[in-house]
Amino acid sequence: MCTDHVNVIGRDPAEATISLSINGKDCAAFPNETILSCARRYDIYVPTLCELDDIDHTPGTCRVCLVEIIQAGQEKHQIVTSCNTPVREGMVVQTRSKRARDMQRLQVELLMADHLQDCATCVRHGNCELQDVAQFVGLTENRFFDRARTEARVHDDSSPSMIRDMQRCVRCQRCVAVCRYHQRVDALVLEGTGLDRLVALRGADDYASSLCVSCGQCVLVCPTGALGERDETDRALDYLCDPEITTVVQFAPAVRVAFGEEFDMPAGTNVEGQIIAACRKIGADVVLDTNFAADVVIMEEGTELLSRLKAGRKPTFTSCCPAWINFAEIHYPDILPLLSSTKSPQQVLSTMAKTYLPEKIGVPAEKIRVISIMPCIAKKDEAVRPQNMTDGMQETDLVLTTREFARLLRREGIDLKTIAPSSFDNPYMSEYSGAGAIFGTTGGVMEAAVRTIYAVVNGKELEDIELEQLRGFEGVRAATVDLGGPIGEVRVAMAHGLGETRALVEAVRSGEADFDFIEIMACPGGCVDGGGSLRSKKAYLPLAIKRRETIYNVDRKKTVRQSHNNAQVKTLYRDFLEAPNSEKAHHLLHTHYTDRRRQMQYTVKEIWDDITMSTMVY
Amino acid sequence: MAQVAYGVWDGVVHDPRLETGDTGTPITALKNFDEFDEGNRIRAFFGDRGFFVFDEKVSLIDGLYHYMEKAAEQSCGACTPCRMGTVLVRDALDRMRRGLDSPLGFDDIEMLGEQMKETSLCGLGQTCSVALLDVLRNFRDRVEAEVESQRPVKAQHGMAYMTAPCIEACPSKVNVPRYIDYIRDGKPENSLGVLLQKYPMAATCGRVCVRYCEMACRRKFVDEAVGIKTLKRYVADQQKGPNALKFTRDMIRTPLDKGMKVAVVGAGPAGISCAYHLLLHGYHVDVFEKSDQAGGMAQIGIPSYRLPKDTLAMETDIIVELGGRFRYGQALGRDFSIDDLFAQGYKAVFLGLGCQKGTALGIEGEEAAREGYYSGIDFLLRVHDHVNKVAPLDLKGEVIVVGGGNVAMDCLRSSVRLGADNVHVVYRRTEADMPADHEEIVAAHAEDIRFHTLTNPTRLITENGKVTGVELVRMEQTEPDASGRRNVRPIRGSEFILPSDTFIPAIGQQVEDGALVEGDGIALDKWRCVEANTKLETARPGVFAGGDCVTGASTLIWAMAAGLKAARSIDDWIQRGSVRFFKRSRMRSLLSDNSILASDVVETPVRNAYRVHNPELDPDLRKRMFGEVEQTISDAEAYAEAQRCMRCYRVYSVVTEHPIPEGAV
Repeated sequence: MCTDHVNVIGRDPAEATISLSINGKDCAAFPNETILSCARRYDIYVPTLCELDDIDHTPGTCRVCLVEIIQAGQEKHQIVTSCNTPVREGMVVQTRSKRARDMQRLQVELLMADHLQDCATCVRHGNCELQDVAQFVGLTENRFFDRARTEARVHDDSSPSMIRDMQRCVRCQRCVAVCRYHQRVDALVLEGTGLDRLVALRGADDYASSLCVSCGQCVLVCPTGALGERDETDRALDYLCDPEITTVVQFAPAVRVAFGEEFDMPAGTNVEGQIIAACRKIGADVVLDTNFAADVVIMEEGTELLSRLKAGRKPTFTSCCPAWINFAEIHYPDILPLLSSTKSPQQVLSTMAKTYLPEKIGVPAEKIRVISIMPCIAKKDEAVRPQNMTDGMQETDLVLTTREFARLLRREGIDLKTIAPSSFDNPYMSEYSGAGAIFGTTGGVMEAAVRTIYAVVNGKELEDIELEQLRGFEGVRAATVDLGGPIGEVRVAMAHGLGETRALVEAVRSGEADFDFIEIMACPGGCVDGGGSLRSKKAYLPLAIKRRETIYNVDRKKTVRQSHNNAQVKTLYRDFLEAPNSEKAHHLLHTHYTDRRRQMQYTVKEIWDDITMSTMVY
Repeated sequence: MAQVAYGVWDGVVHDPRLETGDTGTPITALKNFDEFDEGNRIRAFFGDRGFFVFDEKVSLIDGLYHYMEKAAEQSCGACTPCRMGTVLVRDALDRMRRGLDSPLGFDDIEMLGEQMKETSLCGLGQTCSVALLDVLRNFRDRVEAEVESQRPVKAQHGMAYMTAPCIEACPSKVNVPRYIDYIRDGKPENSLGVLLQKYPMAATCGRVCVRYCEMACRRKFVDEAVGIKTLKRYVADQQKGPNALKFTRDMIRTPLDKGMKVAVVGAGPAGISCAYHLLLHGYHVDVFEKSDQAGGMAQIGIPSYRLPKDTLAMETDIIVELGGRFRYGQALGRDFSIDDLFAQGYKAVFLGLGCQKGTALGIEGEEAAREGYYSGIDFLLRVHDHVNKVAPLDLKGEVIVVGGGNVAMDCLRSSVRLGADNVHVVYRRTEADMPADHEEIVAAHAEDIRFHTLTNPTRLITENGKVTGVELVRMEQTEPDASGRRNVRPIRGSEFILPSDTFIPAIGQQVEDGALVEGDGIALDKWRCVEANTKLETARPGVFAGGDCVTGASTLIWAMAAGLKAARSIDDWIQRGSVRFFKRSRMRSLLSDNSILASDVVETPVRNAYRVHNPELDPDLRKRMFGEVEQTISDAEAYAEAQRCMRCYRVYSVVTEHPIPEGAV
């Protein structure tokens, strides 16, 4: 992170008082602005790799964005990195001089010297920022590559969800920055020196003992294939292609609005129908909607919240975000009693698919495998939680991130753009209300809950159903909602992004913040920009607002906009669960949490043994 | 004097074969370059600004290999050109010096060297190929001739040393960029580990150090020096809470027999540091302290609003955790003698006595003052007792403190807290001349202390022994003398009287009870300080001394550095009967004697990013209490401040005739 970011967007051009020339063009720059920022405003391309403007990240480590400069009053030509060198009055910049181009190219060649270049086996093939930059500098040879040196670096597959492949790391530190400054989980450190320099887990050799919560924001900013999710497309195909197995596929509220881009459709296109068609085509026997389960969650969580409010217990935190659950269990175990015990929509749907659905469709539960498609890496962690297993069987058998689902469709030769949309046909677990749909964006769970709780308390529907006061985009938002009846006004808060979440949790723990109900989504923006979403190059969360708008439109177009009015949900309770929070519902749809605080204490001796590159006396 | 055969320094080529015969002056004026250690000629020297060869027969390839090996070993790996370049060049030179074919030719090496120099992120990468490029561009024929033979080079002796301006400036030679790097990396505990290699009082140092490192910091050429002390305090404060580092006995390198015991006299910073290092060497250490608390001047001389007592206690307790014993209430000369210590089987003695006797002004009326008169150091002792609730001290009326150093500032700011109506500082020179830390002076102003600069006391006025006022005279600056220094002189007839209820001269200190120490075979110098040589040996064999008692009133960091040095000397003396050559010190003298570590400006534009500051309590609130004024910075601020370090690392190496003797690490 640079310490003094000059935000140039929307600034008064009159403040651009520094004159310089870039490639012969007269430019006006803001004081302390970087050469790169100025060049970009004048549409002059400079190759970059480690830099990521959206998170204000200019560590200056890759040294690719080299330009040649002559400072005013000097004759000397200097080579500098444009990403972190400030403009100066009278500076002459050449981005395409022979010397600059040669040095850019040599830099990329040196980056390749210990970068595993089995590109065809890499998840980022064709969508890789390192490949792009190599093409830009015209890399034609690879004189320094040493396979043994490269393969000596760590490939960590210790997590059920994350893969950390240091053989493909370019040491850009974007992951560290997003984890440290934005999510404020601070689970990543830089370790080792020289060739051994890599990104490591703080105080841990494996994910299981680390502070990582699998939010996956690091994956979204990684320029290469160094960070990613555990790929399960092969296992998905095993299920889909096995005639003995009834494959049930569910997909999350956010997936349908954050998937079309992969197939060159406009950002924010709702591709629900195409996804259903594609799932059938690759062999899914039953296609269900996680949105349905979101409605069930509202019934359970809303009821739970009401009883807690009546008992004077507050605040209640939502529990549908698995990275948030990881975060609470690892970082703030003392607040676990405040979390709603309701399972997440993914787990609610999977549980119903193995209890309720078999009764309805006459297929034994042991023949059913549930694959869920999620914009989320932490859902993979959730699926293997011991709490989410019955007799050693996972409720959710397999989680595919949006990215893996894209990969799976490509493997099956499916182009979403050309496939004819279809619709849900399961009469038991696929209908959803507008309330279930908005689960995918920050504030959505809160809004859905309010719609239902209001109706329960007052015996009538809320009139102004779109709760604008819950729909801002600030990291933490607070509002007062009048639920009427004996409950009256309640104080609610919503946080998205774990950095903001941490601040809110600290405030709750210290007693500074007084809320009744708090919605948490670990990813900034909520699930529409989840850590399992499609990757963007050189950008962080560029499509958040468009996706969010589509989600709200889904809600607007629904005739049923409250979870409790979902007919299939009503049937579920009538035929199977009896009532929200009934003993049966409690048994099947609620869970518990465990203290997973990490031991992070060291002896001085251990630290001394870890220290390198300093004269160690002892 | 060492004769340079050939070389390049700051781009000036010295090559006797050239007809111009340019013998660039910087090269010929080398000091102390003949021998590295006794009888061991320096054959060549490589550095960040070029290289010199004194012996024509030196293998440049081997010399450059050892230099680049050090650079590769020290490359942090953050940026591409240095991470790969140092390794590729090192490996190529290694094959060449062994008479093998190299995958890279001299043109490739030159290309990589140029890339490292021009595009590296920090000082190490930017400077470690300078000598290499100088050789390849000016003496290519010599290295080509070396490889032509395809025979391995005969082993050459020497050493390589990496440093930075901040490291050289630090008395304890703390690897400052390294501990800042560890903060950037997200490992503050490792950062603390780097500090703990040098001394056990990091939290104390992070609060009260005078920061020689920051004065040397090259970031000041861009905006402001890096907040090195602020960061030190940040990492040291990681020592609190559930994840505090644990001190365990396995830190001790090799535990020694019961009989291997050493006595440390004085539990101040010098004694604590010496005891710490002796314990880590495996000795059994008893620390004799005349008061009932450890910490010395850090305990009694630094008020708690700057250094909370529990912070200091946490650090002096490390001695006990490592097996050391404090023997409180034991004063040298009163309760025991040095003879007694040797008689009790101590193999050596370290004197860290401090200098705690205040120096009087020597003005008329001073002798008569019995009430309302304290020396600066005595006053701080009273403040210490007040804070510890041993003896309350209430001040009323006018307090006048004489002096411009940190002790004077401590007296002033403590007086405010003790309820004085008005607090004055009298200093004979200008405020800019005050030796106190700038921050202390700013804080004193914020706490409404009245400054009387260019003013000097001439007479103390008392009634029945009680101070009632002081006569002061205005001073004026003289014209600058040849060295540019302006002296001061009194302005005749400008005398005036200031009423005073409490008068505190804080102008200097000396060793207490010096005569008793002298009687024990220890020599004192003319300033009544203990005489010790550069190895910290006193006149009496087996007795070593360091800290204020040797140097006069000085700083915490000098005292702790002396403790470390004395521990090395004591270890050598016990194990070998004499103190060994210390090669890293010799390398440092080579650099400082020749001003090799240039304080050059930063030529490349760097974005301004001003330093973070410790949050402070509000002056109106803090004036009424002794709670700590400065607070620790946040994680986010620490990360931001750490990013400001430019890592001005430099590598230096010598090739010598014979192997360099190994000394203490």
